[in-house]
Amino acid sequence: MNSDITKKIIQIIVLTLVISYGLDKLVFFSLNKVSDKVMTGQAIGKLNHFLSLKDSTNLLVFGNSRANRHIDVAMLSKNGFNMGIDGIGVAYNSTLINTLNKDLKQIVLVHIDTKNFFDNDYTGSDVNALKTKFHRNPIITKVLDSTSQLSTLQKFYYSMNYNGTSIGILKNYFRPNYNFKSYNGYDGLVVTSSQEKIRDIVLAKSISNKECTDNHQINTTALNYLKSIKSFSEKAPNKTFIFITSPIYHDTCEIDNKMLNEIMQELNLTYTDFTNLYKDNKDNSYWKDATHMSNKGAEAFSNHLLQKYKSFQLKQ
Amino acid sequence: MLFNSIEYLIFLPIVLIIYWTLKANYKNQNILLLISSYVFYGWWDYRFLSLIIFSSFLDYYVGQRIEEAKEQKHKKRWLLVSLCSNLGLLGIFKYYNFFADTFAISMSSIGWEVNDLTLNIILPVGISFYTFQTLSYSIDIYRNQIKASRDIVSFFTFVSLFPQLVAGPIERASNLIPQIQNKRNLNLTLLKTGVFQIFIGLFRKVAIADNLGVYVDSVYANYEIHNSSTLLVATIFYAFQIYFDFSGYSDIAIGSAKMFGFKFNRNFNFPYFSKTLTEFWRRWHMSLSFWLRDYLYISLGGNRKGVIITYRNLLLTMLIGGLWHGSSWNFVIWGGIHGLFLSLEKYTFSALKIRTFNTFGYLYTFIVVLISWVFFRAPDFHSASTIITELFSFNYGSLFIGDINAFVNGLLLLLIGILIDLKIFRSNVTLEDYGIRFSTIKLTFIVSVIIIMLCLFYSTAENFIYFQF
Repeated sequence: MNSDITKKIIQIIVLTLVISYGLDKLVFFSLNKVSDKVMTGQAIGKLNHFLSLKDSTNLLVFGNSRANRHIDVAMLSKNGFNMGIDGIGVAYNSTLINTLNKDLKQIVLVHIDTKNFFDNDYTGSDVNALKTKFHRNPIITKVLDSTSQLSTLQKFYYSMNYNGTSIGILKNYFRPNYNFKSYNGYDGLVVTSSQEKIRDIVLAKSISNKECTDNHQINTTALNYLKSIKSFSEKAPNKTFIFITSPIYHDTCEIDNKMLNEIMQELNLTYTDFTNLYKDNKDNSYWKDATHMSNKGAEAFSNHLLQKYKSFQLKQ
Repeated sequence: MLFNSIEYLIFLPIVLIIYWTLKANYKNQNILLLISSYVFYGWWDYRFLSLIIFSSFLDYYVGQRIEEAKEQKHKKRWLLVSLCSNLGLLGIFKYYNFFADTFAISMSSIGWEVNDLTLNIILPVGISFYTFQTLSYSIDIYRNQIKASRDIVSFFTFVSLFPQLVAGPIERASNLIPQIQNKRNLNLTLLKTGVFQIFIGLFRKVAIADNLGVYVDSVYANYEIHNSSTLLVATIFYAFQIYFDFSGYSDIAIGSAKMFGFKFNRNFNFPYFSKTLTEFWRRWHMSLSFWLRDYLYISLGGNRKGVIITYRNLLLTMLIGGLWHGSSWNFVIWGGIHGLFLSLEKYTFSALKIRTFNTFGYLYTFIVVLISWVFFRAPDFHSASTIITELFSFNYGSLFIGDINAFVNGLLLLLIGILIDLKIFRSNVTLEDYGIRFSTIKLTFIVSVIIIMLCLFYSTAENFIYFQF
């Protein structure tokens, strides 16, 4: 290798770093501009929508896709918002709850899943779904910084914060999915007649008499995020926190539910486990699949919540 | 260590800097390459280094004995030592459980219950690749095509050179050993083409293949609930996933090797632009298909012993080629489908006195390859046959989309991948040489765009598909 080649290598490395850095910032800031105007879609629109109305609602629902699909906020409040997002866990929810105004009077319904708390592999990486707000929202930035969830490369290439979401953002910018002004965050699942057969197969497959071999060691990361919610709730006396686990079609393991119940009692958090609420009701029309209820099931469950928490005066 | 990992991003430049610092003495460079190759492999599981070292020692010694043997029968005896030992190791680690299981099932079908004979064996990464590489070395010496290596470091480096160690390309000793035993140089052509190929490879693997894999995995995990349209789209996605995954891996391997001054043989040549299955196999995983042709098909007699024997040889070569991929009947069936259609093609060409098909051939080839991929991807025979049945039941209802973002990203990236392939294919310049067309500024701009595309679309699959083989 002669000195000419050495110079070429240095030239290629330096130019690549400079050009890619410049392109990255161009893409990142362009996407920032676009994404800030996007109010629809799960990728970022729903988060933007939440951040814009979180201080003007009286009921907020947090959780994963099950919260999103099971709790019809319109049945619980005229002014509520369901912030359930697919595939997220307690880390994401805890971070968003910490962005709430402490002084405002609100009911905060937090949907938690037992699996999340007894999953050995859970690292809180779901908080990464908030990375589009890195360096743009102080609370989210602080959490992302403190948990080291972002890679070192992400600190150089900001556009990594839009990984996997850019197409969705552009699509929702040019052609929004729905009118966000009339959207309350709840996405009921409709089961069409052609899907019923498949649904029944899926439900039948989920029933097994397998011995319960799930892990029963609490995941400390998940527990710490739960404690962070508790700590926030103590600083926000005007807020009412209700924790729930919504029904599933056939729970193969009860031990984890009991253990989570004990943990919630120890933390003195208001918690009700509805996992087996419809255990004996073998009406498949309540379900889309083994873990998600149909809109019919969600209606029944939301009504059940309304009755159960009458004393909290949900319907305001 | 994976090519698409932060570890490799750090490992490669460090090794390159030390390597070119040692440019005055290529033997010192070889020692460095050997050590770094063992670090690269040991990153996965250092215990299996012993297998590579054993295999290297064996063929280094056997190669010399074959060369020194005066009589043909002695040469043959030493060759058999290499064949039995290498294939024996491969047999134990890769196929023992498969044959034990098959034996137990066969016995139980005739009413004789056999205790579970399977063992808890881990399949060492890359064993199929380096076994074929060392085997070809001994066979080439036996055929008097190459001289036995007398430089132990060079030979060990040939077996374990890290860019091609775990998933090929399966390099021939005749190509690689002379390069290892001579001074290497990095010129502008190698630099530009290497950089271009590494980044194109990363894009193919990390952006295209991994994004397609999200949809494929979600459909194949619940294949029984999906209709024909969904299974068809998932299988088409898989056809491109495996292509971009493996060709992307090969691109990174070949590009990395260029940075060290090595020229590897190309492994892919736009296989889906083939009018016949015969042409497909000249373009797909070329280092394996040429290996099978030269060391198996020709050894069996090739087409020199009559029509029937030729068809038998073709079928047998493809069945064994299928089994090489994995210890499952699905891979055997996959190889069988290819062997059958290759034979049919051969028959058609000789009967109609033609050399290839017309444009319709592209569609025919893709359909045959597509159907065979079902057996490659499905976890077992039952699921593969269920999927094939559903595909041909023509129940083409509404398409399952699943994660809309993943689906749209996969589709968009697939389109970009096909357009890039089409552009290079029509330029009459190989992907391996394509980088030379660009000025330094243009090359760095292209690399920068790829980096931003990777930032926006990278997906995190655990492994390259071919690591399992």
